Amino acid sequence: MKNKTFQSLTNPLAKNNPVLVQILGICSALAVTTQLKPALVMGLSVTAVCAFSNLVLSLLRNGIPDRIRIIVQLVVIAALVTIVNDILKAYVYDVSKQLSVYVGLIITNCIIMGRVEAFALSNKPLPSLLDGIGNGLGYGAVLVIIGFFRELLGNGTLLGYQVIPNCLYEAGYVNNGLMLFPPAALIIVGIIIWVHRSTNKDLQEK
Amino acid sequence: MSKKGFLGGKDSNAYIVFYSTVMVVIVAILLAFTYLSLKPAQDANILNEKKDAIVASLGLEKGSYDSTIEAYVVNKEGEVIQTEVSPLNKLFDLPASFAAGEYPVFENKTTGEVVFPLTGKGLWDDIWGYIALEADLNTIKGAIFDHAGETPGLGAEIATAKFQAQFPGQTIYEGSNLVGIYVVKGGAQGAAHSVDAVTGGTKTSEGLQNMIKDCLDCYDAFIMGRTAVAFELVETVNAE
Repeated sequence: MKNKTFQSLTNPLAKNNPVLVQILGICSALAVTTQLKPALVMGLSVTAVCAFSNLVLSLLRNGIPDRIRIIVQLVVIAALVTIVNDILKAYVYDVSKQLSVYVGLIITNCIIMGRVEAFALSNKPLPSLLDGIGNGLGYGAVLVIIGFFRELLGNGTLLGYQVIPNCLYEAGYVNNGLMLFPPAALIIVGIIIWVHRSTNKDLQEK
Repeated sequence: MSKKGFLGGKDSNAYIVFYSTVMVVIVAILLAFTYLSLKPAQDANILNEKKDAIVASLGLEKGSYDSTIEAYVVNKEGEVIQTEVSPLNKLFDLPASFAAGEYPVFENKTTGEVVFPLTGKGLWDDIWGYIALEADLNTIKGAIFDHAGETPGLGAEIATAKFQAQFPGQTIYEGSNLVGIYVVKGGAQGAAHSVDAVTGGTKTSEGLQNMIKDCLDCYDAFIMGRTAVAFELVETVNAE
């Protein structure tokens, strides 16, 4: 039992990763990953929303009328996203400007409603909370990997600090402009999925 | 008939109406509370952003606003007037301030360079900006523009450094006539008071041109007053 609870946290990080295996949340993975910092903040925001929406809806699960359950889910998720958006605006204003509409669009992120529908409404609060954290972190981890490569190869910086030494530029190295466009994110997602599947043989379709 | 529980059970209409009402009220209270408690911090951020935009148009470092800028409000006749709201806070609703005939001015205390805020309409929504003039109040030192909802890649290009880099060095007066800056479709080709319009952003470019002219018009008397004083000073010095 203990083990199973723990698995709801760790499974989405690798074996059942929402982006890599369930292919959810791709849109925002393309949009907010040109730099590492917004990718990090977005990952944390989604984790917070996913965790709390799972927790709240799991606590409410026995009282929610079946006919309006999607509406109830949306109200809870939308309220949480609005709160997260307000917090970002108050404490990390520059990042919230970079993320612009994508914070609001967390509401429509399939991962969150998907987890609520598939997990929280039929499980106890603690495993639901862990499942939410796990899925949020699984999504965030992929975002951070994409953001890392896009910022490194596209700008030569990480979190705004220059990491590619000037002597390389003088030797003729140039930043890859493609990395700053959405297709690059898709290519990187593809490569990550490829690596992920070759290391997890049981995920490969026959 | 057996008793079905509170309001006739989980799937009765009465229960659903009751449930949604309670839920919406709770959520509304929660959101109102968050909004009100975070509003001061958010406003401070927005104000800081405006301060940084003002000093950025002067080519100064971020955060140098408080030490370099003196802000005041002038009227259509160019006289400094007292207002209830501080000049900086006027920027929260600049269109209303312009409509009321109160025009904020941000002056660099040491160099006499002056920044005017601008507000206008693009194609879809509001556009705004800051235009910094050299101490002669004719040559542009720098310009910053931003927008609420212009088309990315087209009209939204007015917010890029590349577009704004065309402004420094341009003059806004032809003799004593305020002409502003022409945003020329097809390219300025070095003509006076002109910059290249944004390709595919004709309406936004027109909006920008009108914004610069209309807003600077409001400061015309102020600029004239200032330069006339400077001119007289030069005259008296020469006469002596």
